[in-house]
Amino acid sequence: MMTRRSALLAASALSLLAGVALAGPASAAEQVVKIGIDASLTGGDAQSALLVKNGAVMAIDEANAKHAVPGVKFEAMVLDDGTATAGQYDPAQGAINARKMVADHQVMAAIGPQMSGVGKAMAPILSWGDLATITPSSTNPDITDPKFAQQYRPAGKAIYFRTVATDAYQGPYMANFYASVLKVKSVYVLDDTGAYGEGLANAFQAQAEKDGIKVLGRDKIDPKAADYSSVLTKIKQLNPDSLYYGGVMQAGVKLVKEAYEILPHAMPKGGGDGLITPEMLTAAGFPAAEGWYCTNASPHVTEDPTAQPWVAAYKAKFNVLPDDYAITAYDGTLVIIDAVKRVKASGKPVTRSAVRDAIQSANVKTLQGPVSFDDNGDIKDRVIAVFQVHQDKAYPADDMIHLFKYIGVAPQS
Amino acid sequence: MTLTDVYLQQLINGLSLGAMYALLALGFTLVYGILELINFAHFNVFMVGSFVALGALNLFGVTPNAPPLAGLALGAVLLGTLAVTMVASGLLGVAIERIALKPLRNVRGPAAMITTIGVSYILFNVVLLGLGADSKNFPSPLPALALPIGGAVLRLREVLIWIVSLVLMAALTWFVQFTRMGKAMRATAQDPEAARMMGIEVDRVIILAFFLGSALAGAGGLMFGLYYNFTSYIIGFTAGLRAFTAAVLGGIGNVPGAMLGGIIIGLIEAMGGQLVSASWADVIIFSILVLVLVFRPAGLLGRVAPNKS
Repeated sequence: MMTRRSALLAASALSLLAGVALAGPASAAEQVVKIGIDASLTGGDAQSALLVKNGAVMAIDEANAKHAVPGVKFEAMVLDDGTATAGQYDPAQGAINARKMVADHQVMAAIGPQMSGVGKAMAPILSWGDLATITPSSTNPDITDPKFAQQYRPAGKAIYFRTVATDAYQGPYMANFYASVLKVKSVYVLDDTGAYGEGLANAFQAQAEKDGIKVLGRDKIDPKAADYSSVLTKIKQLNPDSLYYGGVMQAGVKLVKEAYEILPHAMPKGGGDGLITPEMLTAAGFPAAEGWYCTNASPHVTEDPTAQPWVAAYKAKFNVLPDDYAITAYDGTLVIIDAVKRVKASGKPVTRSAVRDAIQSANVKTLQGPVSFDDNGDIKDRVIAVFQVHQDKAYPADDMIHLFKYIGVAPQS
Repeated sequence: MTLTDVYLQQLINGLSLGAMYALLALGFTLVYGILELINFAHFNVFMVGSFVALGALNLFGVTPNAPPLAGLALGAVLLGTLAVTMVASGLLGVAIERIALKPLRNVRGPAAMITTIGVSYILFNVVLLGLGADSKNFPSPLPALALPIGGAVLRLREVLIWIVSLVLMAALTWFVQFTRMGKAMRATAQDPEAARMMGIEVDRVIILAFFLGSALAGAGGLMFGLYYNFTSYIIGFTAGLRAFTAAVLGGIGNVPGAMLGGIIIGLIEAMGGQLVSASWADVIIFSILVLVLVFRPAGLLGRVAPNKS
């Protein structure tokens, strides 16, 4: 009869053998390189999150199909930082997701997060884990600002890269647009209390004052509350020439609807990239959303003739039209794949540190043009595109490409 | 817009909000009056009610692109939707009581209250998983009628919300004061033991309290949708918390108190946004609640209850 100890020994020896047998062929074949994808798939921004996720998945699938990097198979690790309790992105969940990515040694780089509030929570964890991420859409400037290096990259090296410009450009350039194109003399500024919304509204407000626009007031709206009639009535009384909102769609849907009821329809109203979402067209909807101005912190690509085959392929694969941040997510993933390719070609082992260095020195031809980064991780080309929501019954109700009418590039001064 | 117009407009805004909070607050108060139970599931019965209303409106052919209705057709659609929503929400409330709370009837301590929190989260997550996380456009059959009063505007939706709330609250008051079943409710609230000895079926009274409270929450859900033209799985928490505050402010267990509390909270929210700033609304609401409870622990209209044992 076997004693308990010998039984244990036998069992562990067996499992060891099995492990060797399983691991053997796998290591001889392709190396698996995982790319983390973090977006706010639950809550008020779920639809736009899906577009971003699809963009990254598409680049990964294409790379695998044409064996872009010999000997490497890419896998997506999709994580959701939105929670039901928050009703939108949740920084605490973002921190958990960052730890998950860092804990998995096959994850060599990541795409995301979609939201700046989450980025602030993830950046220090990714920094200690030496894991580079490329965000397609989080635009709060603090995260890559060297002033806050202690906070957001405590381990030293830049790990937070962007294929979009930041709100340090998005807010001010939109203020320039208000001043020189819309020619407004006064504005009321609102934000949704989030890291992104507050930062964007601050940046807008500072430049608006420099451009000679009188800021008649500034308030915050609670994204979980339903009723903004009180603050909107106050705005109606002050009668500014225009309204600016920094924030995302959880508060945005209600603000757009109630502003239509209370404020004059002719008053120009605008916001940032947080408004360029399918929710703006379907949940806020027409006629409420008609005429709102919004910006994207990237060049406008989805209507570019050279990008049309890509747009058609995206539509065929996911049965939904992409937006410009689906493109920046795709572009970011191309940068990661290119980085892995260069590390592999140099003969060095594919490690997080090597991939990060390769991303830092990237110069990759992407859909939006050549992408390269400064020492902080910010993209070198900074373009802010302005759109206006305009109903056109010739297109489907959620057509992101045609119902956000491209106005042009926002003035840099 | 003169300053008078602004305050008139904020008064209109506040009264509409208050009417909605009052409808919700009544549900908390009815159940608390009978069982001394704070029913947190009520938050999300309201939310489910708004989705039931959305479904009913779609069934009646009201979609985002449909033209607004008028006259008899409008009245029929609104009454039909209200009836469907109230009955469905009421039955949901009864089901919650039968399935989750009745088995705990004789358990002492906070078990039943914790269960209602659990039920609330179940409703919340079922709607989230079943219908998705995005905000839903809530179509309105109401024509865009508006009556300018100086610089202020009174819209049809505000008049509607006031009328519906007033009628429902008057009906509830009549029911509680003047019907046999209402008397049984009041007797049970005063002393369930004695009520049972007098031949009142306490179990039926409890079911009735859940049905009425939840039906009013459903009506609140319909009003919410018609007023804001959207609904989402997340609307229950903020509205529910403020309505609960309204019930406590007015004196929990007291029907007129819940109505008064709702109106006060709505007005504080509107005027606070005007005079201070919208971001301070919750701070102001809860500061006033704390102050009232310090000086009148039983709420504005509540009386300190005799000790039930």
